[in-house]
Amino acid sequence: MLAIDGLRKVYDGHGRRVEAIADITLTVEDGEFVCIVGPSGCGKTTLLRCIAGLLRPTSGEVLLDGKRVTGPPPGLAVVFQEYGRSLFPWLRVADNVELPLRAAGVAREKRRRLVAAALEAVGLDDAHGAYPWQLSGGMQQRVAIARAIASDEQRVLLMDEPFAAVDAQTRADLEDLIRRVWALTGFTVLFVTHDIDESVYLGQRVVMLGSPPTQVVEELAVDLPLDRDQLTTRSDPRFAELRGRVYAQIQKAKLEKLEKT
Amino acid sequence: MRIAERVVLALALPVVLVTIWWFASAGSTNFYVPPLATILTAFNDTWLGPLIVTDVLPSLGRLGLGYAAALLVGIALGVAIGRRRTLRALLEPVLEFLRAIPPPVLVPILILFAGIGGGMKVLVIVSGCVWPILLNTVEGVRAIDDVLADTCRSYRIGGRLRLWHLVLRSASPQIMTGARQALSIGIILMVISEMFAASSGFGFTIVQFQRGFQIPEMWSGVILLGITGVVLSLLFRLAERAVLGWYHGLRTMDRRR
Repeated sequence: MLAIDGLRKVYDGHGRRVEAIADITLTVEDGEFVCIVGPSGCGKTTLLRCIAGLLRPTSGEVLLDGKRVTGPPPGLAVVFQEYGRSLFPWLRVADNVELPLRAAGVAREKRRRLVAAALEAVGLDDAHGAYPWQLSGGMQQRVAIARAIASDEQRVLLMDEPFAAVDAQTRADLEDLIRRVWALTGFTVLFVTHDIDESVYLGQRVVMLGSPPTQVVEELAVDLPLDRDQLTTRSDPRFAELRGRVYAQIQKAKLEKLEKT
Repeated sequence: MRIAERVVLALALPVVLVTIWWFASAGSTNFYVPPLATILTAFNDTWLGPLIVTDVLPSLGRLGLGYAAALLVGIALGVAIGRRRTLRALLEPVLEFLRAIPPPVLVPILILFAGIGGGMKVLVIVSGCVWPILLNTVEGVRAIDDVLADTCRSYRIGGRLRLWHLVLRSASPQIMTGARQALSIGIILMVISEMFAASSGFGFTIVQFQRGFQIPEMWSGVILLGITGVVLSLLFRLAERAVLGWYHGLRTMDRRR
């Protein structure tokens, strides 16, 4: 279980004090798919970096399976938005996926098996020997996903607007891919996005954030069927309804911000 | 087809120049500018004999040793300095000063400490080659991508894996730039270090020929030196292609997108 308890983050620097996150408390159960959505500049990335142990919160804490996160914890992987910059351009695809396993001291034979399974799960079994820059943007992000799931002890996947930089069709493919991967691996997925449709389409639950200083505005359970596809799910009246709810909340958050300034 | 074209283009001008030299100097009676035919005969008689073993190979050996030591020291120090801001602020003025000293003037000083043997000559080569490698490594290490560094942190890639796969590979294009500059400096210093107080080597032999009025032999030594430079830079290019294959591929891709 992933528990975020009273998390607050204040950036202090150059005589300017910015309260990015005021107070966020949130629990994600094992195996859950939760989307975090909010207006741009609401501190989504800050929140994710705090959860990943890449950034120290000003106060409050993040607990992974009851243990306090003070640095990047084992069993948690991050998929960054900038796929082009998060893969090692001097390593071939399979070596990119393998590197964290080498760092974790996994034996060679097992590494090979995990890498092959992960690349197969993202549909890249034929790209082992390619360099990342030889692949399209969508394929590069699939390599990054493969790297994140190539483990037999990892359980939490943090995704920071992973599909924001690819074209719309690739994006739809990747959305379906991540749903499949989630169903296959049973990972806990925490997916940060600014795209309202995406959050409803992907998540079992959507957590809406307000404008900074950020708090959780509302949590919404997505009661769409488990099997989703771009055509039927997106034309489901219930989808439109949920989407409308999220949209209204985000608009409200934006308006409040305007009034404040 | 394209390779043949490139070979023809690359060789065309040298062939023309050598031909001009050949005919222009053919009837030369000037003692200091002998005909090319005479120089080539001297080349054959002088260098393709025992001199290779007594002078050429020892010179190249010292160059190799000094160059390797400069690479080792330059990269190691460069990584250490590039990763720590305080160390950089502390050392940068001193490094700029040391770099500004032309290495040949160090020869008299190094003779005092290291004598006139091979050790001194290797030290002269190191003292000149190390700067471009060091300073380029510092720049390369400083320019490591944030996202890639975060990726290493979040995947808990540390220690030796991080040093190799993040730090050194990230900096490798700049390190190679420094290494290329260092190679030409190294060849110059190899010759210069042998012109002072030496009893063998490339530079020594060429100066000996000049003093002994063996002009065709002197010319042939200069030609051999030029050929050595070309061969070394070809070897360097092969090494670079092996090390930076990914980099050139990436750049070509970026240009196409």
